[in-house]
Amino acid sequence: MEAVPQNIKSAQNKSFHYQSNHRKTAVILSIIPGLGQLYHKQWVKGILFLTLTASYVAVFSNLLNMGLWGIVTLGTELPRDHSIFLLVEGIIALIVITIGVAFYAFNLYDAYQTGKKRDAGMRPCTLREQYQHTIDKGFPYLLVTPGFFLLIFVVIFPILFMVFLAFTNYDLYHSPPAKLVDWVGFQNFIDMFKLDIWRETFVSVFSWTIIWTFTATTLQIAVGIGLAVMMNQKDVKLKGLFRTILILPWAVPAFVSILVFSGMFNDSFGAINHDVLAFFGVKDIPWLTDPFWTKVALIFIQTWLGFPFVMAMTTGVLQSIPNELYEAATIDGATSWDKFRTITLPMVLYSTAPILITQYTFNFNNFNVIYLFNSGGPAVASQNAGGTDILISWIYQMTMTSAQYSKAAAVTVVLSIIVILVALFNFRRTKAFKDEGKV
Amino acid sequence: MADRTIIRFEHVTKQYDDDPAVLNDVSFEIERGKFYTLLGPSGCGKTTILRLIAGFIEPSKGKIYFNGKVINNLPANKRQVNTVFQDYALFPHLNVFENVAFGLKIKKMKKSDIEEKVKEALRFVNLAGYEAREIREMSGGQRQRVAIARAIVNEPEVILLDEPLSALDLKLRTEMQYELRELQRRLGITFIFVTHDQEEALAMSDEIFVLNEGKIQQSGTPTDIYDEPINRFVADFIGESNIVPGKMIRDFLIEFNGKQFECVDGGFHPDESVEAVIRPEDLQITTPEQGKLQVRVDSQLFRGVHYEICCFDEDGNEWLVHSTKKAVVGDNIGLTFDPEAIHVMRFGETEEEFDKRLEAYEEAGHAK
Repeated sequence: MEAVPQNIKSAQNKSFHYQSNHRKTAVILSIIPGLGQLYHKQWVKGILFLTLTASYVAVFSNLLNMGLWGIVTLGTELPRDHSIFLLVEGIIALIVITIGVAFYAFNLYDAYQTGKKRDAGMRPCTLREQYQHTIDKGFPYLLVTPGFFLLIFVVIFPILFMVFLAFTNYDLYHSPPAKLVDWVGFQNFIDMFKLDIWRETFVSVFSWTIIWTFTATTLQIAVGIGLAVMMNQKDVKLKGLFRTILILPWAVPAFVSILVFSGMFNDSFGAINHDVLAFFGVKDIPWLTDPFWTKVALIFIQTWLGFPFVMAMTTGVLQSIPNELYEAATIDGATSWDKFRTITLPMVLYSTAPILITQYTFNFNNFNVIYLFNSGGPAVASQNAGGTDILISWIYQMTMTSAQYSKAAAVTVVLSIIVILVALFNFRRTKAFKDEGKV
Repeated sequence: MADRTIIRFEHVTKQYDDDPAVLNDVSFEIERGKFYTLLGPSGCGKTTILRLIAGFIEPSKGKIYFNGKVINNLPANKRQVNTVFQDYALFPHLNVFENVAFGLKIKKMKKSDIEEKVKEALRFVNLAGYEAREIREMSGGQRQRVAIARAIVNEPEVILLDEPLSALDLKLRTEMQYELRELQRRLGITFIFVTHDQEEALAMSDEIFVLNEGKIQQSGTPTDIYDEPINRFVADFIGESNIVPGKMIRDFLIEFNGKQFECVDGGFHPDESVEAVIRPEDLQITTPEQGKLQVRVDSQLFRGVHYEICCFDEDGNEWLVHSTKKAVVGDNIGLTFDPEAIHVMRFGETEEEFDKRLEAYEEAGHAK
């Protein structure tokens, strides 16, 4: 909205006395969009605005009426009202209203600006000038507009729907079309921390999620870097062959591997207990029925799945570390361990840190391995999530099996807030973000 | 004087697998406290010598002595030698202090001692106060100095420099030449400097080894090597030169371009085929009648200090002249020179024979 020409700005600076009062009149007239523009004799624009307003009212009045009523009440009468549909309609109505208000504000602003220009003794922009101005200054906005509308309905709409759900009692017992859904305020959040079963579940799932994220990811990074360094040693023969073999876990689709592992870890007939451990004389371990051992197995599997990527990446970095650095360290009498600790590790972490962080976020939301291996199980008494459920798989279980939609939405909101805070904190610390500000 | 010698190479050969030798039967001595330069085109073996001294590679044949002891298989960190690498090899994730302190920390030195030594080393290279700087915040010249500080902080007896100035721009390079030379004098330790830049070598060294194809072609002070190159390669590689085939009629009389000229070289067989070198700056332009040679100006470049004039004689030999006076392209001019300006080179002469002959006729010259 940089529509103010330079001379008007300077006029403002010198506390210019306007000779007329067109700007106020125009704004008042623009309470009905278009009239202000017509008052400025911008005929085409005025008519355009009037038409737009009229069609907005004609097309959307019904939706707005229905939507706003629906989102406030979530329905009053069965079987006529379907609460979820009303909620959806309500959210669309809110979005449409926001767009409308934005347009209305623009209309007032435009009328005021043109009025000010006239008051300063200049003629208002002709249609051609206006058009050229739009193309000139507004071209980037013009280009992002379609994407922006898509964003509203593809991204913002579902998020809003989820956030709204978190404040309802939508679950198995309040499920349309048989029942109505009601607003319950912060009840879901209060329950989550006040009701014992919910609190315990939340705390246990949350803490396991954190432990899972750090152990599994750190292990896969450590193993990946370790193997990459080993494979990079000069004396290793058949490097290509070893690297190929080590990359294989990455080549096999993860869900196939996980399902195969799930079979191998089976308590009674799986290969691990039956063959491997039996060979060493270890008695059967309850891989799928004891939460502790399931967790151990999960961390093992994720390490197995995740290390090839880190290894491949690290191999690339290792080969770019100049040999001179190691020679310089050799002169100073550094041992192999010194060299690894003071050169290799810092250099690798230095250049791969951003990607390693994404490994952590990936495992934080690593639904596949948890769900496919043991469906989050085994079940645990006194909580309504499985023993190895992480937040994401718990949410899945709440929505897909126990139909506790509103609770799932509430947990998601809490989860999102945590993730957003962490991400924001991290993002603001990255160099890219800091440099962006300087440019 | 044996105790002045710090490094001695005895018939050292370095060969990888069955490839031709990178270094072929090289012997030389390096004395304490001097500035040495290994000069040669890329692939001549100069960096190989450096890496042999540093201990990164071992010779295939021959012996390397350090302070009188064979060090062929001594690991790099046990040698009193430190290297400044071409790209400095500074640790990018450490700051200046940590870079310089790296070796001391590895040696588990006391913290207060480390601090003191690092500060002193940085003061030596004029970087006091830069301890907390990150490497990427330093300019090329500063990085260079950090690398040198890292080398001298370990108090080596010899510092090896592997083309350390090649990454700097011309102005900075000249500055660093002075600085390095000055630093070497202050420290009083041996510097072995590798370069392919002959001007750098001439400006900085006490002694130059000119290498080509794995062999030392000639060694000596910069003036020796410039004024009396042993063969065509050295004459051509060090500075610009006009090299023409000729014949020694007898000692102190040479024939080339079909004319006979007086010269100051001796010790030849009568009528021996030789090559004569005349440096471009030793040629003066005169009229064709007064000139010892008559040439035609072919092209001319203004080099700032002088004009570089390219001429051809009747036989088609090229003559390069450095003159502060301008010539006109296409003109016929005369070139004149003193007898001292001619340097005569024998074909296939070894350094030993060359030195012996030089001594012999110089004595004879004095006797006259």
